[in-house]
Amino acid sequence: MTATAERPASTIFQRPTSHTGVWSWITTVDHKRIGILYGYSAFIFMIIGGLEALLLRIHLASANSEFLSAGEYNAMFTMHGTTMVFLFVMPMSAAFFNYLLPLMIGARDVAFPRLNALSYWIFLFGGIFLYSSFLFGSGLPPLGTENVPGNLDAATSGGFLANSPDGGWFCYQPNCGPFYSPGTAMDYWALGVQILGLASLISAVNFIVTVFNMRAKGMRLLRMPVFVWMTLVVAFLLLFALPIIAIALFMVMFDRQFGTLFFAASQGGDPILWQHLFWLFGHPEVYVLILPAMGIVSEVLPVFSRKPLFGYAAVVFAGASIGFLGFGVWAHHMFSSGITPVAQAAFGISTMTIAIPTGIKIFNWVGTMWLGKIRLTTPMLFSIGFVALFVIGGLSGVTHAIVPSDWQQTDTYYIVAHFHYVLFGGSIFGLFSGVYYWFPKLTGRMLSERLGKLHFWLMFIGMNLTFGPMHWLGLQGMIRRTWKYAPETGLEPWNRAVSVGAFMIATSIAIFMYNWWTSKRRGQPAGLDPWDARTLEWSIPSPVPEYNFAKVPVVHSLDDFWHRKYDEDENGRAVRKPDADELIARLEHEGNNPSSPIHLPNPSYFPIIMASGIPTTFYGIIYHTTAWGKALIAVGAVVVLSALIGWGMEPLEEPHDAPHDTPHDTAAAH
Amino acid sequence: MTDLAHAPEHHDEHESTGIDNRKLGMWAFLGSEFLFFGALISNYLLYQGRKGFPGPYPADIYDIPFTSISSFVLLMSSLTMVLAHNAMSRHDRNGTKTWLLATAMLGSVFLGGQVFEFTEFITEHGMKTTTNPAASAFYVLTGFHGTHVAIGVIMLLSLWGIARRGSLSDRHGLNVELVGLYWHFVDIIWIVIFTVVYLIR
Amino acid sequence: MTTEQHSAIEAERHDPPHPTPIQYVKIAVVLAVLTGIEVALFYVGDVFGGLQTPMLLVLAALKFVIVVGWYMHLRFERSTAQRFFGTGFVIALFCYGIVLLAMGAFALSR
Repeated sequence: MTATAERPASTIFQRPTSHTGVWSWITTVDHKRIGILYGYSAFIFMIIGGLEALLLRIHLASANSEFLSAGEYNAMFTMHGTTMVFLFVMPMSAAFFNYLLPLMIGARDVAFPRLNALSYWIFLFGGIFLYSSFLFGSGLPPLGTENVPGNLDAATSGGFLANSPDGGWFCYQPNCGPFYSPGTAMDYWALGVQILGLASLISAVNFIVTVFNMRAKGMRLLRMPVFVWMTLVVAFLLLFALPIIAIALFMVMFDRQFGTLFFAASQGGDPILWQHLFWLFGHPEVYVLILPAMGIVSEVLPVFSRKPLFGYAAVVFAGASIGFLGFGVWAHHMFSSGITPVAQAAFGISTMTIAIPTGIKIFNWVGTMWLGKIRLTTPMLFSIGFVALFVIGGLSGVTHAIVPSDWQQTDTYYIVAHFHYVLFGGSIFGLFSGVYYWFPKLTGRMLSERLGKLHFWLMFIGMNLTFGPMHWLGLQGMIRRTWKYAPETGLEPWNRAVSVGAFMIATSIAIFMYNWWTSKRRGQPAGLDPWDARTLEWSIPSPVPEYNFAKVPVVHSLDDFWHRKYDEDENGRAVRKPDADELIARLEHEGNNPSSPIHLPNPSYFPIIMASGIPTTFYGIIYHTTAWGKALIAVGAVVVLSALIGWGMEPLEEPHDAPHDTPHDTAAAH
Repeated sequence: MTDLAHAPEHHDEHESTGIDNRKLGMWAFLGSEFLFFGALISNYLLYQGRKGFPGPYPADIYDIPFTSISSFVLLMSSLTMVLAHNAMSRHDRNGTKTWLLATAMLGSVFLGGQVFEFTEFITEHGMKTTTNPAASAFYVLTGFHGTHVAIGVIMLLSLWGIARRGSLSDRHGLNVELVGLYWHFVDIIWIVIFTVVYLIR
Repeated sequence: MTTEQHSAIEAERHDPPHPTPIQYVKIAVVLAVLTGIEVALFYVGDVFGGLQTPMLLVLAALKFVIVVGWYMHLRFERSTAQRFFGTGFVIALFCYGIVLLAMGAFALSR
């Protein structure tokens, strides 16, 4: 009996069957492959977003720079932010969720495998849709402003770089509405983000049902790894926050395309409503960006401290609290927008409150390392770096919570410093920690430690050099999103230093890419448990077989896998069981040789087909005044509807399988 | 193949809520829809009182008797929906078919009423989506609600079509229940809209 | 047995009995009566002055709870479903309530 999973043959609708080649990737519903697709896609978008940042930094390295035109500059900072948030950090987190969640809870796949694939393709096409704005978009100056002195016309000037959205990643109204942002650039933004939101909403439902319904026997909720808990909290945040931005984006779309008056200030619309709706989504969104990294760090630190996570329950509840409280702080992004003093005070207090569960997590991470037997591997370095840098970002965040202080800081580089410390020093460092940690599980090989450490230190120094000086640049008065600053301001020297730091970061990423490339081919082979880790995914072979678990495990405690390898002596110290090595060898053998055939969900064409219909319709909406635009709307709708019908009618199981009672061997085939 | 995984009682092997995956997914999705419609309803509440812009405002031109009747129709469609689900659970194929169709018809009547209402507002009273913010808010709110109803009608007719072909089997039981949950949700949103948007000044 | 059949059997084993058709009709009558009262309140409710609005809201809330509890069967459903649905409702109420308050929809602070 070989290690391959049995794959049912096709029937009427000819469900695809191959598991090699490009076609198998296009039709995959395997969570691991979907995770890999997310990972590579997100990484490519990171490079693009990084190039946008480098262009910004080359421009800002000099006072009165003309390296980028004003229009190009606006487009670059808008696309940099939008890309990094929606096309890099979120999908990279999704890559981790997808690959690891079923493995960590002892499942064979997620609750709805085809829906999972759909989420990925919608995301990819949404990202491409957004970026097609460079080719098809047009940024035009507001009507009737040709004779207005100042930079209004220049604000949209430039080459193809200026075609893309240029209103900032949060698209304040009415600046990004039909009057002040005519042309199609902001349409690409509004509709593109709408598409991306849909992908995440579908994912959120999928992960929530998976966590609640598909855990292995004995894996009670409070025995799940912290990473799984954070995935769950993130899924709830997305579930409840995304509909809000969906409505807000529909309103923008209706204002821009159909003349409605939601945000038309002179005709009774309220721009502040946009801010409320956007940040009602936007604040939970930033917790969506950070919690996965916190989950990763909570997995990595215990392994390389050879100690259990300090205060597991506290970390879990703190994470859940952060998610919950995250819905109560949004107007701290609006302290200078004219909200009442009462509102400012209330949101200032709620914002300070959210520092409490965050602090609990920090203390618990430190407590995990305290008196532990620390191994400074690359993943560990990135996780420790996360803790240090996130604390710095968090501290500047606390200063924002103090309202009068925030009036000084808002819309300056101080804010830019804050969110880059938490997003780069936090999210990105956490994600890299995860990459180095789980690379062996994904590929069966180790990434080079030498290159990894080089990457880490270069990135750490570069990151601090880039974003550290932004704190005082901001306090010295450098305005956010400023196209030019005069030499008399004295801002140039530190801006130069910042730009140097940015290139250090870029270099470190190039080193990482080289490491990935060579280690995939020639890295040191890793067994199933190269780090001597604690959670279930380390009890199956590396790379992971298609069916995940040859036999679904039964779980008896938190960190069940660790307890199968280690006992505790009277002092609470871990003592390796005498048969631990034999256990590993046995798991390796059993993991690759399931004793009976395992049914896996069939691949399907329909997710990618359905996903393609959505941007088609949205292109049509942008150009709906033309005949072909209207046609595109219809075509897209027909594609989606047909795919839906095909999806519903696709046979789930083959006729000869019907007598088998396999709902728990297979993932629920949806 | 007598592997443990195929043993009859293996449904205990998973830690689970005991609620079917798709049903749990539907409840989660409906929970999120409160945020969707909440934004639209709040938006209307915000804009309806802002006077001083070109009229008419929605509240100036409501036809309450008409809307009351269509609200009643939608409410009764929830009854027929639950009767369809009930028939399904008793394996009453004909009953299921009948009540599914009844629900789809009542939903369509509601939609017809909405179309009529909008047409009246636009042609008779001159209130378009672009007239004032309250009008924008009104049309987008009720428009999205109507779209949800329309999607529900399509799902109901699909199930009815399957039933008519004689292919409605036990395995569709959950589908009827899921469509039912969706349909009732659309109804409760209208309960809120009818009161908060139409009746309350 | 398919997944659906399996789930259906499991559901039958665990689900408390659903109301009968007659009971559903009775509930529908209650809903219709409540709607009737609401419409009547719309026309003559001015006699209640400031109480008209709260009364309408209470009536709507009653209809809401009845449909959710009995037609959607949530009253008898497992707590997980109740929590998913309820959390969305609470978050919506809270967040939008504050937005409306902050933006002066209730004419309190402006």
